[in-house]
Amino acid sequence: MPELGRAALLLAFGLVVYAALAGGYAAYRARRRLLESATNALFAAFASVGLAAVVLLAALARHDFSFSYVASHTSRELPLGYTLSAFWSGQEGSLLLWLLVLTGMGSAAVVLNRRLVRQVLPWTVPILGALASFFALLLVFVASPFGTQVAPADGVGLNPSLQNPYMLAHPPLLYLGYVGLTIPFAFAMAALASGRADERWIVATRRWTLASWAFLGFAILLGAKWAYEEVGWGGWYAWDPVENAALMPWLVATAYLHSVMVQEKKNMLRVWNAVLVTGAFCLSLFGTFLTRSGVLNSIHSFTESPIGAWFLGFIAVVAAASIALILYRLPVLRSRTRLESLVSREAAFLYNNLFLVAFALTVLWGVIYPLVSDAVRGVAVTVGAPYYDFFAVAFGLPLILLMGVGPLIAWRRASLRALGRSLLWPFGVALVVGALLLAGGAGSSPAGLVGYTFAAFVLAAIVLEFVRGTRARHALGAGSWAGAFTSLVGRNRRRYGGYVVHAAIVLLLIGAIGIGGFATTREAKLSAGQSLAVGDYTVTYLGSEQRRAANAQELRARLAVSRGGDELGTVLAGKNRYFAEQQTSNEVAIRSDWLRAEDLFVIADQFNTDGSVFLKVIVNPLVNLIWLAGLVFVAGSLITMWPDAREQQRLARRFAEDGALARA
Amino acid sequence: MAAALAVFLVYTALAGGTPSLRPSQVAGHDGRVSVAGKVVGEPTGTARGATGLHFTLRDVQGTATLPVVYRGSVPDLFRTGRDVSVEGSLQNGVFVADKLVTKCPSKYTNKPS
Repeated sequence: MPELGRAALLLAFGLVVYAALAGGYAAYRARRRLLESATNALFAAFASVGLAAVVLLAALARHDFSFSYVASHTSRELPLGYTLSAFWSGQEGSLLLWLLVLTGMGSAAVVLNRRLVRQVLPWTVPILGALASFFALLLVFVASPFGTQVAPADGVGLNPSLQNPYMLAHPPLLYLGYVGLTIPFAFAMAALASGRADERWIVATRRWTLASWAFLGFAILLGAKWAYEEVGWGGWYAWDPVENAALMPWLVATAYLHSVMVQEKKNMLRVWNAVLVTGAFCLSLFGTFLTRSGVLNSIHSFTESPIGAWFLGFIAVVAAASIALILYRLPVLRSRTRLESLVSREAAFLYNNLFLVAFALTVLWGVIYPLVSDAVRGVAVTVGAPYYDFFAVAFGLPLILLMGVGPLIAWRRASLRALGRSLLWPFGVALVVGALLLAGGAGSSPAGLVGYTFAAFVLAAIVLEFVRGTRARHALGAGSWAGAFTSLVGRNRRRYGGYVVHAAIVLLLIGAIGIGGFATTREAKLSAGQSLAVGDYTVTYLGSEQRRAANAQELRARLAVSRGGDELGTVLAGKNRYFAEQQTSNEVAIRSDWLRAEDLFVIADQFNTDGSVFLKVIVNPLVNLIWLAGLVFVAGSLITMWPDAREQQRLARRFAEDGALARA
Repeated sequence: MAAALAVFLVYTALAGGTPSLRPSQVAGHDGRVSVAGKVVGEPTGTARGATGLHFTLRDVQGTATLPVVYRGSVPDLFRTGRDVSVEGSLQNGVFVADKLVTKCPSKYTNKPS
């Protein structure tokens, strides 16, 4: 069986190299039939990689420990779901997933845009082939998932902290996001290589970009939820390089999604968008490199694992080639339109872009700074949470403000008076909310108070937009108010879906400030019967108990929870000892109050031999709004992506004209 | 704008960062530092007791060692043979730490150590 997997990967490697070389020649010489053949090679590569993936999945399911990969990531006791998820918990399997998603998405994007690719952007196929060649090369020659050994009696097992439902979903979604960014990148580069300055590639890839970005964003939040429940220190985001690895491409992709609207509408920012799409793709490669090369194990060596150097080399080649291509096409890209006023929708998008990119660069700098300082000064200096927190506030607050102002500013040139009029209501709401919060004692965290005031401003602006739009529709005679509302959203999916996403970001902000600025923490050693008061909760330790699960010994402290005299039942907090992995993992107790959106979070830090237990208890106010934000985010993204027949017709008309112009 | 940002970032990182050292480099540093190394020998004591958790850190590639005493939450992945990073300061030859992070070489793979 491993031979079959290896053969499938070798075949896939041959196919994608063919797609790159033959496709490149075909695009250069305009050989239509050869391009057709290269395209088919890309499809066949997807099938071949799919076969390799099936071989690996089958080996995992059968506990075939003669596969080194299976033996080093699973054990016999591991439940089936987690056994299969080991597919993406190691380096080799992750690379295979990358290649599978890349060839799959690439094929789908080419099929869906068949005419465009064939007639206008033939370079798409060889570019996708070249990118896939790198991953196929690694899988065949450097990090094969099909290495074999004499089968041991049992495997080493899966890291216990990965044995969590969120970790089943987080990595594949993250990879869909990472790899999905390849599609807009490949089309953009193909447009440049073909010398097409029109906006067709943007229209063709709009939903791909949105979907990848939505996957990435949702995956980041799933990862945060996992960290909150499983790593269990009471927080949800710790600026760990592994987390930042996904945040950076998301930030740049967010900037790109906004600025690309300016290009679609005004033909501006062409160079900038090409740079952004390249940046987002390179950062997604860098993210994969960070999490999968082993560089984070030891900050002192960049090339500890063999794939590290390969990845850095690949990122350098991709970045250099893209920049060279952009510079080469600079004359075509230069736009004839200029920014007319610093107070306009275009300008608001530009500011939003500067802040988002600056924030992404700041995070990037924090991640690579230890390596730079080690190389330059001989001492590695790590930058911690204070550095990131400072910049998150410094760049985040203006971004939030722009989120409220941006949608209300007119395109081209806005008068300050008109802007002031439309901002009057949101501004008033923000002032009232700020005053109420201050009176309620929220001044204990000044940054939190400012953040909440800004959040109120943006939410009011969003609600106002919905109200105004619905009223206008209703006035046009759309029947009922509900009918007016749905027709408003249905006719402007991109706009109102975008507002829903904005609302999700505000919810996230409210939750993040709640846990970051207003959490209460108490620690104590308790004997059976003793209590600890935290906020308005009281936690009473009733005793400890033990249970044997399939693959772990479970030790739990039973705790009675009450609030203001009301009994709220018991919770269990403790530790699991995993047999195969010889590892302990903290299993925190989380009691969510959905009405208040707050959590009681209990860590049983240490069980003492005298029967007492050391507890850390945290009250996290509003934290559940973070998870709610994830759902709202997905809903908003879906609205913006939902197929729209009217929009298709509009685009078809526009590009019929554009095409005529391009030929003339 | 970009240049100003770059200068600002370098400055902030320099001023706000904590030096991250190997056990062999700690001697002579007073003040708060972070040390990354490999846990060798059996840890003794309890992290939430009066004594604190005692263990020894060794250079990941080297032989120099550093005795450490730590009080606080012990992360799941802490055990002999793991690479960890501690934050604190050197007091009378013993590194007193209040922050312990596993460098998790095993975050994704579970190498037997």
